[in-house]
Amino acid sequence: MSERGLRIQELRASAGGTSILKGINLAVEPGRVHALMGPNGSGKSTLAFSLTGHPGFKVESGSVTLDGLDLLAISPDKRAKAGLFLSFQYPAAIPGVKVANFLFAARQALHPGDLPPAKFRALLLEKMDLLDMDPSFMGRYLNDGFSGGEKKRLEMLQLAMLSPKYAVLDETDSGLDVDALRAVGESVNAMRASEAGKETGFLIITHYPRILQYVKPDVVHVMIDGRIVKEGDAELAQRIEREGYDTIREEIAQIA
Amino acid sequence: MPSTLERLAVPQHADESILNRGRRQELLTKAFESRSGRERPGQFWKIDLDGLDFSALDVAPPSTPQIKAPNKPGVIACDLATAARKHPQLFARAFGSAAGALNTKFATLATALCNTGAFIYVPADQAVDDPIEITYTVENGALFPYTLVLLDRGAHCTIIERLEGRTGDTVCGIAEISGGENSSVTYASEQNLPAETQAFFTRVAAPGKDASVTWCLAELGAALAVTSVDVAIDNPGVQAQLNGFFFPRDNQHVDLLSTIRHNVGESQSQTLIKSAATGRGQARYLGNIRIAPHAQGTQASLRDDALLLSPHAHIDSVPALEIGANDVKAFHGATIGALDENVIFYMESRGITRAAAEKMIALGFFEPVIERFPTEALRSRLRSALEDKIA
Repeated sequence: MSERGLRIQELRASAGGTSILKGINLAVEPGRVHALMGPNGSGKSTLAFSLTGHPGFKVESGSVTLDGLDLLAISPDKRAKAGLFLSFQYPAAIPGVKVANFLFAARQALHPGDLPPAKFRALLLEKMDLLDMDPSFMGRYLNDGFSGGEKKRLEMLQLAMLSPKYAVLDETDSGLDVDALRAVGESVNAMRASEAGKETGFLIITHYPRILQYVKPDVVHVMIDGRIVKEGDAELAQRIEREGYDTIREEIAQIA
Repeated sequence: MPSTLERLAVPQHADESILNRGRRQELLTKAFESRSGRERPGQFWKIDLDGLDFSALDVAPPSTPQIKAPNKPGVIACDLATAARKHPQLFARAFGSAAGALNTKFATLATALCNTGAFIYVPADQAVDDPIEITYTVENGALFPYTLVLLDRGAHCTIIERLEGRTGDTVCGIAEISGGENSSVTYASEQNLPAETQAFFTRVAAPGKDASVTWCLAELGAALAVTSVDVAIDNPGVQAQLNGFFFPRDNQHVDLLSTIRHNVGESQSQTLIKSAATGRGQARYLGNIRIAPHAQGTQASLRDDALLLSPHAHIDSVPALEIGANDVKAFHGATIGALDENVIFYMESRGITRAAAEKMIALGFFEPVIERFPTEALRSRLRSALEDKIA
């Protein structure tokens, strides 16, 4: 019997010939919130891209399974169909493709035929309202000329509309003002409280813990230099907020 | 054996109410003596427009296009020969009104051999909101369509020209617009000619004071589609717009030359061209904006984007701004590139397959220009034509 969860074992990955992930072990459980923290350059985004199959990153060894399914063997679109979602730190702009059309195409790809256009539209309006997004967003070209905050809200809108089993949020909090940050937090919490989202497992990648004031993590993983060096509960995030990463670096140095 | 010129000379069935034989002969000789004005930029551009062989031309007998026009008082929408006979004064006002811009190889050929055409007249202050549709169908030999549009002061209309064919004969045509003071006209062309056709079009407009003229050109079909657009702004307050797109695939060639002449100031022009190419498709866009000395207060923008979808496709984009005045706003932007891998990955990460993502991106690429075309019916025809081309 396959084990549920997004399970990463001994994952090693490189980009442009440089080894970045040096044996990652991490398991995201259904319905739980995992925070992945670490200083800039520690390899957090590389992990996000390796999970989703970005062509610029090469997995050297290790395994990733989603509810037992071997993710590394399948293409990025099939990983999404298996239930994996990535909220991008820098979402791409697609001029000429309207938000509503893009979301409908994505929803159709992931949940074929489950929502007729009228119901889809109603759901979209409901989720946009939750994120304080004006309905005129639907007719805008995807991320084209969007502000940083608008892009992140659109990522959260996609998360809400696509109901993945596991969601990786890559620095969704970076560059957001307090209002946008709260909207993002509330959107995640609303999803977790909903029938469709209560089993979703979250991996929230951040290098500083502001977002964790809005979404309380069950587990905090700390990544430094391509390895998970420490795990703990929400208290660990608060410690990092107070002390930064240096004391953790010192701890590791002593153990080694 | 007679030369091509001798063989084509004085078409037996030429309609003398449009143009007399002597003048036709004169123009025909001129067409064979003139050069196209288009250089071959390099090894990629395989067609030599000056070296084209017209010896196989078989000129179709006179025909009339299909014209659909809303019934409005004073509006005339009929075939060209009828207009020349029944409305000689209006015809004379419009025919050759942009003569300077019609002095080229293909325009003189089109005039000399003209065997079909349409005449649209909108009287002063009359607004025709529903589009006037003109359909030219190539079927019994080479077609030389001449569309003549005359708007009086304050008149307004939208024209949709559809070019279709049952045979791959040559098409060489003209659309000539003269717009009175404060008139406005949108002229859209949906070129869907058969795959073996060679098509040559000259489109000219002479707008009056405070008039607006908008060209929307969709080059979808034909093996070779060569178009010249010339807008002469000789009056202040003119607003000119040129929107165009093309998408050559297989072995198609598209060549578009546009010239917006700001001969007086206080006028505006906007040019937006989107070209993509796939297979061995080739396209060339030569975009000229000329702002004459003393044409102060001119605002001109030119934007052209090119998307290459295959390693064998080729697009040349040559925008040129010639600015003679010092108090103007002139903008020019051009991009050329292939599909962005980061964008494809973003879409794949949402469950969309690579093939579907590429298609969406390519269709999206054209969307800003398609949105500028008139009527939802035309826009959705253009979208599905592009979808078929990508597939």
